[in-house]
Amino acid sequence: MRARARIARKVPGAIPVFALGLVVIAALGGDWLAPYDPGAQDLANTAMPPSGAHWLGTDDLGRDVLSRLVSGARIALLGPAVVAIGVAVLATVIGLLAGYRGGWVDSAIMRGVDLVYAVPPLLVAIVVVGVFGGGYPLAIGVLIALSVPADVRMVRSAVLAQRNLAYVESARTVGVGRGRILFTHLLPNVLPTVVANLLLTFVSALVGLAALAFLGLGVGTGAPDWGRMLAENKGMLDLNPAAMAAPAVLITVVAASVTLIGDRVYDRMAARGRDVGRA
Amino acid sequence: MYILAFLGKRLFAAAVTLLVTSFVVFSLLAASPGSPEQTLLGSRPPTPELIAAIRARYHLDDPFLSRFWQWLGDVVQMDFGRSVRSGQPVTDMLSERLDVTLALGVYAFLLVLVIAVPAGLSAGIRRGSVLDRGVTLTALVGVSAPPFAVGLLLLTVFGVGLGWFPVFGAGEGFAGRVEHLTLPAVTMAVAGVAIVARQTRAAALDVATKDFVTFAEARGLPRSVVLGRYALRNSALPVITSAGLVLAMSLTGAVLVESTFALPGLGSLLVESVSTKDIPVVQGLALLTAALMIGVNLVVDLCYLGLDPRVRHSGGA
Amino acid sequence: MLDVRELTVHDGRSRPLVRGVSFSVGPGETVGLVGESGSGKSLTARALVSLLPPGLRAGGSALLAGKELVGAKGLRGVRGHAVSLLMQDPFTMLNPLTTIGTHILESLPGRGSRAEVLRRLAEVGITDPAVAARFPFQLSGGMRQRVALAAALAKDPGLLIADEPTTALDVTTQAEVLALLRRLQVERQMGLVLITHDLRVARSACDRVLVMYAGALVESAPSGELDKPAHPYTSGLLRSVPSATHRQPVLLGIPGSVPAAADVADRCPFADRCTWVEDACTDHAPPLVDLGDRSTACRRHDEIDLGHVGDDDVDPTVRVAVGDTLLDVVDVVKTYRSTGFRPTSFTALEGVSLHVTEGESLAVVGESGSGKTTLARTVLGLTDATEGRITLGGVDVTSYRRLRKAQRAQARRLVQCVFQDPYSSLNPAHTIGYALTEALRQRTATDLATEVDELLDLVGLPTSYAKRLPAALSGGQRQRVAIARALAVRPRLLVCDEPVAALDVSVQAQVLEVLRKANRELGIALLFITHDLAVARQVTDRVVVMHRGRIVEHGPTAEVLDAPTHPYTARLVASIPGTAPRTGGETHVAQ
Repeated sequence: MRARARIARKVPGAIPVFALGLVVIAALGGDWLAPYDPGAQDLANTAMPPSGAHWLGTDDLGRDVLSRLVSGARIALLGPAVVAIGVAVLATVIGLLAGYRGGWVDSAIMRGVDLVYAVPPLLVAIVVVGVFGGGYPLAIGVLIALSVPADVRMVRSAVLAQRNLAYVESARTVGVGRGRILFTHLLPNVLPTVVANLLLTFVSALVGLAALAFLGLGVGTGAPDWGRMLAENKGMLDLNPAAMAAPAVLITVVAASVTLIGDRVYDRMAARGRDVGRA
Repeated sequence: MYILAFLGKRLFAAAVTLLVTSFVVFSLLAASPGSPEQTLLGSRPPTPELIAAIRARYHLDDPFLSRFWQWLGDVVQMDFGRSVRSGQPVTDMLSERLDVTLALGVYAFLLVLVIAVPAGLSAGIRRGSVLDRGVTLTALVGVSAPPFAVGLLLLTVFGVGLGWFPVFGAGEGFAGRVEHLTLPAVTMAVAGVAIVARQTRAAALDVATKDFVTFAEARGLPRSVVLGRYALRNSALPVITSAGLVLAMSLTGAVLVESTFALPGLGSLLVESVSTKDIPVVQGLALLTAALMIGVNLVVDLCYLGLDPRVRHSGGA
Repeated sequence: MLDVRELTVHDGRSRPLVRGVSFSVGPGETVGLVGESGSGKSLTARALVSLLPPGLRAGGSALLAGKELVGAKGLRGVRGHAVSLLMQDPFTMLNPLTTIGTHILESLPGRGSRAEVLRRLAEVGITDPAVAARFPFQLSGGMRQRVALAAALAKDPGLLIADEPTTALDVTTQAEVLALLRRLQVERQMGLVLITHDLRVARSACDRVLVMYAGALVESAPSGELDKPAHPYTSGLLRSVPSATHRQPVLLGIPGSVPAAADVADRCPFADRCTWVEDACTDHAPPLVDLGDRSTACRRHDEIDLGHVGDDDVDPTVRVAVGDTLLDVVDVVKTYRSTGFRPTSFTALEGVSLHVTEGESLAVVGESGSGKTTLARTVLGLTDATEGRITLGGVDVTSYRRLRKAQRAQARRLVQCVFQDPYSSLNPAHTIGYALTEALRQRTATDLATEVDELLDLVGLPTSYAKRLPAALSGGQRQRVAIARALAVRPRLLVCDEPVAALDVSVQAQVLEVLRKANRELGIALLFITHDLAVARQVTDRVVVMHRGRIVEHGPTAEVLDAPTHPYTARLVASIPGTAPRTGGETHVAQ
């Protein structure tokens, strides 16, 4: 973890925050900010390259690409956010429990975790969503379920690293209750790991959900979705490359921004508790 | 003795994992919507003879567990049944599609090793330099870049824009293969390069601060010995682990990359089979993936065994 | 042979970490470089072999046999051949992936042979040829340090710099390695720079001692004349070393804590903690004044009388505990089992019995692996004993987990603890006040703020510290907060697990005094776990000596230390630095 590059600090820190800020504004504003109705077709102007009227051109149904991107921002951020928060909450509770309780509770949890740990979430999501056809909610469920184990491992090992430190044992000897030790002593010191993982999960969920949509397994057709747009606009690569390049760039920029921010947040939070376990 | 115990332990664990995985994979048929015979029928007309044949072939009249054992017995003999869609044996379909994915995977993995390890090492050695910052920032972005987005962008720029590489197909012959698979392999390698380069840099940084490296220099050992026997060998373990991870994940990558570039490999086969609910093919692919991952992990363990005497002498405890 | 002139080390922002250190070392001479943490002694050593951590720069000059070491490129041919470095931690100094034989072979000049490797190992007392085929992790710390020494000397350097070579080792091993180092130095007529935080080690092993403080050299003297110090810091340091031969009425430390070298660059670094400070001391950095065979950086050295160290008073009181038994440990066995693929078991305690009377102070003395920490943990209920019985204030506390809630709370109120590592004993996320309040709440709910102030006062810290986070406190201050937190519950027994082992000697006394006060004035019994016999002598009335999970000797502290009966105790006592004769060969080499 120490090796987590400190370079993020050297990148002008504002760039990822600014980029993400724009996307968040788009997500909040939604259709209200979009220059055109994202669903409105204009069959007279299909697959037009970028122009003054349509900054990113139109797709093969004549819909405005920029408007569809803006309108898709909300779902693009919401899904990964649900996954990330769900995973963080579940993994933290389970990881704290396993790490601090130890004994059979720990063994039972870790057996399960070991079994599922190496399973690639996206691959399973593709199979499950494809075969069962559950769409977006099922995809989110699968991603949460399969991302939790890796996070449980990290939280647990962070807890194990703290559990036998003198400050925890002192609190035990003073007579502080188990719940209090878990939530007021261990949790604040495990938090950097949790937050860093939360942002990493967000990124992989963003990529994963977009991939499902790209493969035609995510949200239904019609609704503007970045991954879906990639697949839809792939066919007109030679007519309006921007229609496909724009969502690709956008997904990459959001993913990279969140990763960079996560890296810095971790560094800053870890620096605060720097000297725990220094000896 | 320890080595045998270590190997035995790992092989046993691998067998258990495979068994559990195959059970889950088998249950896919029972759990998929609709009755098993409907699923296995696919779009064929439901004649009584055909249904009876399917029931017999898949032992559908037996209890669940005994069906599982029979299925497992077939699987061990590399028989996954027939594709619902094409009626072809699943094994044939897999081997037909294997070579594209294999070529793609090997190509991408070579790219990862050739680019990531030197980049990570030089970044680690010249910590804080422009090179280091460049490598770290690129790696950070690369880790988070979605393969399909990268693939489509590469396609736009190098395929359509500059026309350097073909946009479609897997190519014939070695040269054609390489030409056709370059963009897909680069796409697939991006995340891997980022992961391995980060690990290598971290390992190089970590080992440089170790007492044993300082002590080696203080004794006046030649630079080649300090770099090779001390720095490289000690930083090899985390790098191997991350390389194994990248290799194990390559099938996920293959799914996205093959779909992006319309390549006839195992990844696109999975997407086709999943969307047509061709369960036997999906089962075959899932087991193949599991076997690949378990195999890679075993190889990584063997590398540890060869490199680290502590593992060799303590049974990997 | 080695001539160091005005050596400096600066960090990346050009702040000085070591400033203007000058000394010389002759062939066959041993020079001790003594200082506490942050004194710059290790950086000085690293600068001499051009192996400073990244980002640090050395300046000045260091001539070794006429060759400049500072800033020189191509030290190949010099490092290892002319000067070699032995480092502190034997557990991290050797390459974990290669064998002992390879370590020696690769270090030998030219083409080495197996016979030569074995000869070199034999030179450092390793006569078993099978060791050459082993890996470092298969050897004990003492053995690893011997191997490292053989590797460092493989090219027969004229000068060896040994940076705290015995600090990470057990007391008895320490004495052996030190004796080995001395023997080789005499045999090879090699110059030796011995860097240590332990004045006793430096005095007993070195011809001359250099004392460093906050990046500056403050005094240099022949070790025989060190008991008449010419610098107030040396004087304070000498007086801070607890005596192993008698109990001192007052433990003298140096008030305050060590400043950062960069903050005291243009003044006397010791001024803030010095009794004799005057305005002129902080005007500029005082130069080293030559006084014949010694020198000092105190500008008032001829005005002040630092006296003769070693004539301090003796506390003659013998305290005999009378009263009820507070803690009773009967035949306690603790076995650790690892379940899994290849189950192993390790017995840390093999039937230990002891008792602590109300208000008494009992030392548990032993080296690493003796089981002393396990004993503390079973008493505290942090781990359950495998067999035996522990009673505390009449309650059977053998297994805290099986106690009913009320009983457990009662037991928790009776016994508290202070751990070794001051850096992990306070939660970095919470203020000092929070930590103390949390402990107080277990006993009372009223007047918490007043009680926090009283506790801080009791351990000699300003009440304003309640608002601070642990990161703003020094190690000694943190340890005093840890004691205050333990006292908040008003326990009757305080278990101290090596409470001063991680602290600099000049601040140890402050912590030990607080513990003595808790014992004598508040009547809290102490179970004091330590490897340091001198510390045990100062704080405790009775002692038990542990060795490999058993108690091998017990009795009043003074009697056991003055006339040990068990051979192991005798060896421990003989290993106290400064008690062995100054010269002389190796006494004992354990294989």
